[in-house]
Amino acid sequence: MPTVSICTDSFTVTAQAMAGVYGFPGFEFVTTPHPVASLNEEQIRSRVADFMPEVLRILGVES
Amino acid sequence: MTAHAHVTADPAEVGESPLVDPGEVLRAMEYYAERGWTDGLPVVPVTESYVAEFLAQTDRDPDDVVLSMPHLNRHCTVRLAAINAGLAGCRPEYFPVVLAAWESLRKEGMAERGIWQSTTGTAPLLIVNGPVREAIGLNSKGNVFGSGFRANATIGRAIRLTAINAFGLRPRQLDQATQGTPGKYTSCIAENEEDSPWRPLHTDAGLAGTDSAVTAMVYRSCIHLEARHTTVPEQLARDFANTISRTGSLVHQTISALLVLAPEHAHVFDRAGWSKSDLRQFIYDTAAVGRDTLTAVGKDAVSRRTKWRLPADHPDAIPDDAEVDADTGTVRVLNSTGAVQVIVAGANNAGVSAVIETMGPRGGPPAVTRVAPAPTPPA
Repeated sequence: MPTVSICTDSFTVTAQAMAGVYGFPGFEFVTTPHPVASLNEEQIRSRVADFMPEVLRILGVES
Repeated sequence: MTAHAHVTADPAEVGESPLVDPGEVLRAMEYYAERGWTDGLPVVPVTESYVAEFLAQTDRDPDDVVLSMPHLNRHCTVRLAAINAGLAGCRPEYFPVVLAAWESLRKEGMAERGIWQSTTGTAPLLIVNGPVREAIGLNSKGNVFGSGFRANATIGRAIRLTAINAFGLRPRQLDQATQGTPGKYTSCIAENEEDSPWRPLHTDAGLAGTDSAVTAMVYRSCIHLEARHTTVPEQLARDFANTISRTGSLVHQTISALLVLAPEHAHVFDRAGWSKSDLRQFIYDTAAVGRDTLTAVGKDAVSRRTKWRLPADHPDAIPDDAEVDADTGTVRVLNSTGAVQVIVAGANNAGVSAVIETMGPRGGPPAVTRVAPAPTPPA
């Protein structure tokens, strides 16, 4: 199943390092500003709306 | 040759300096530091011949794997463990203890599952029992968590340097600790079996007192507990139980802990006729937190997915299954007597103990691992 990884920007370096460990340096993933855990439902929806175009771009969905 | 700078003002302590050029040693140390093969402190230069002295301390093949992290596809071999023990400043004769530490960490399980990369920022704690303590000079008495003892300092450090060098767990890269803990530099203590009224930890697990053993745990913090005010065992035990049940550590529904009792505290319990098991039972029964307190800090429910505690009005919240004591309105923070372990360490000079906040196994047996004696060299 086509998948896109999403993490907060605090984990950008770690995510890049893990991609390198698995042999995919430059692997594309989506970041969103930290933190997420303390957001309410409305704020979460807003975040998703913000990064969804990036998710679709990585998936290769053409508008 | 450049003259050595003496570190002491006492002429009687200076003695003869070794006949090496310290400038060459410094260049080697800088080489290691530039490559990031350190924990921030200088490491000891390690040569092939020096590694061979470590490998001579074990029957195991240098290519044997001591611990794997499958999610990183990285494996630590006996040889990599030996190199990093040398870098850490271990003497070769410490290596059987280092290998037992790795075996205990493997049995304990959390390191292989990635806990050393967690934002929680834990450290491994090594507890050493048996005759090897005296044989290699491991401290079990005064300043047991502190500095000053080469075997303690370097055996614990060998684990950290291996995490950095063999597994690549460098801070702010694959090690994501938010703050970490000072214990990440080194955490290796020995049990003060001589001043304890009870059997040592490794014999509780079925080993002989003449065996040596290492028991590894994963810990989040080390809480100081100063209690010189009472010789009533129930009062002292409640002081421990209260420390264990603080809400800040109650991430999940229950937690686990290791009591590191000063001999003086252990003898308070022993004089009253309490065994180690009696103490663990009492702690299990009394380490509790009020429902109202949980509500006040927003930890009165658990997440349906992670089982982490969170407020009851959170969208993911489901009720925890903790039973409320009808008389006190409290819920237990330990799931069994096995969730609290007890050892004795430190000087027999004051009522100062510690509560180690451990992570899992919450109620399982500790990962006590026998130290394999070094092979006898051929005559």
